[in-house]
Amino acid sequence: MDENVIKVENLVKYFDGRCVLDGINLNVPRGCIYGLLGRNGSGKTTIIRILLGLEPPTRGRTFLLEAKSTELSAKLHGRIGYVAEGHNLIQNYKVGRLIKLCKDLSLQWNDEFFNHLIETFRLPADRRVKELSIGMRAQLNLALAMAIDPELLIFDDPTLGLDTVARRQFLELAIELIQQQGRTILFCSHILGDVERIADKIGILAAGKLVVDCPLEELKERVKKLRVIFPEAAPANLHLTEIINQQNQGREMVITVANWNKQKQTALEIFKPSSCTEIPMSLEDMFIECTKPNPEYIES
Amino acid sequence: MFALIKREIQDHIVYFIGAAVFSAVFIIISFSLISRYDHKELPVFSIGLGVPAATIVIFGICAMGATQMYLDRTRKISALLSTLAVSRNQILLARIITGILVILILFVPLTITAGILVRLFSPPIPMFTGMVFEISVTVYLMAFAIYCIGLQTGWNSSALTPSLGALFLTCIFIPLVLIKGFGVHIVVILVLFIAASLIRTWHTFMKTSL
Repeated sequence: MDENVIKVENLVKYFDGRCVLDGINLNVPRGCIYGLLGRNGSGKTTIIRILLGLEPPTRGRTFLLEAKSTELSAKLHGRIGYVAEGHNLIQNYKVGRLIKLCKDLSLQWNDEFFNHLIETFRLPADRRVKELSIGMRAQLNLALAMAIDPELLIFDDPTLGLDTVARRQFLELAIELIQQQGRTILFCSHILGDVERIADKIGILAAGKLVVDCPLEELKERVKKLRVIFPEAAPANLHLTEIINQQNQGREMVITVANWNKQKQTALEIFKPSSCTEIPMSLEDMFIECTKPNPEYIES
Repeated sequence: MFALIKREIQDHIVYFIGAAVFSAVFIIISFSLISRYDHKELPVFSIGLGVPAATIVIFGICAMGATQMYLDRTRKISALLSTLAVSRNQILLARIITGILVILILFVPLTITAGILVRLFSPPIPMFTGMVFEISVTVYLMAFAIYCIGLQTGWNSSALTPSLGALFLTCIFIPLVLIKGFGVHIVVILVLFIAASLIRTWHTFMKTSL
């Protein structure tokens, strides 16, 4: 049995002649929380929509729960919880009616858990979805996705519009879910702190390519930002490979390098720097560096 | 599946009510006309009543198909439904079943009434066996064909050309029946048209982005 719940093979997608995804390969193993990051328009939502069979790919294949995305059966859909970006809920329905519809169309429904979420989020059943605030819509969407006890959860910016407390509640809920039930989560978000808090593995999309695909800890190990001071003006070219970013200012050079190792350190020491200190990087810093034009690949 | 059909009925309840009311009004008017006027005057009233009634029915049924698809597209209903334990086939099937239900609500009482009237009153022209049946089958198929046009138009209604095309096709049906008359030929033409139309709708609905 394949342990990869999500598989993307050489995925290419064009929109009106514009290449949005350019040969993406991605695997998400069972029980993993995968944080998929990228700037606006980098193709995160497109990958998710193709995975769910909502959008046809131009080339390549995608699999969810060992089935081709284009051939996902109703039963398989019933094992996947999805929170869409912008919360694709039927706007003119009352909350109660939408809940009933989703319940009737689900293979299983955890009433106890759902009611707990509804009480926690204080969602009014008698109001129309369009009358709810963005935050409440997000909460409703989350509750509906989680009530079906899904084997795989796909969150496309789920905390968008949530206040700090609700966001924290959601993250704790997600952690609880993954720890207790061993479920897989594909998580897209612009709030990198959230991703850093819960993700095991990170993927970063830039210019249609997956420039980072490795465990979070490994990413932190492999990407280094260094402040190097030289006795004279900093050299323009260090002849190092996989430099993600380099900024020179007089004697000082700040470089971000992927796959930092002994060989690269030796190569740097040829220039006899006066000092070389590591600048701690958060996931946000790494994201900014990796999404700059022409980043090197940091795929595992 | 039942939940999907129920949702379609609830969302388009106005068409069900409209069909029931129209059917009831038409039956009442038919009975009152037949009881008041003799056979010589009846054809004049029948044409006077039938032409506007047929126009309302044709555009009403076409509008229902178009509304179902248009609202789905604009409200992203299928985008939500297809992330639940539902396939696109089921969504479309539920939609078509709902359309058929509206057609049945509209025409079954009228067919029964026509049958009763034929039995109660001697018709102005010699009746042959199965005439009511042939007319009914043609009318049902024609209504369903028009509904199928509506389904296709609703999914493409952002463009003017498909809407005009649908209007043209809808308008063609009446002269087609007038030329071919009721019978096997028109039934075959309508069945072929319905099959082609449903395949096209199914293909578009299955392949399109939701």
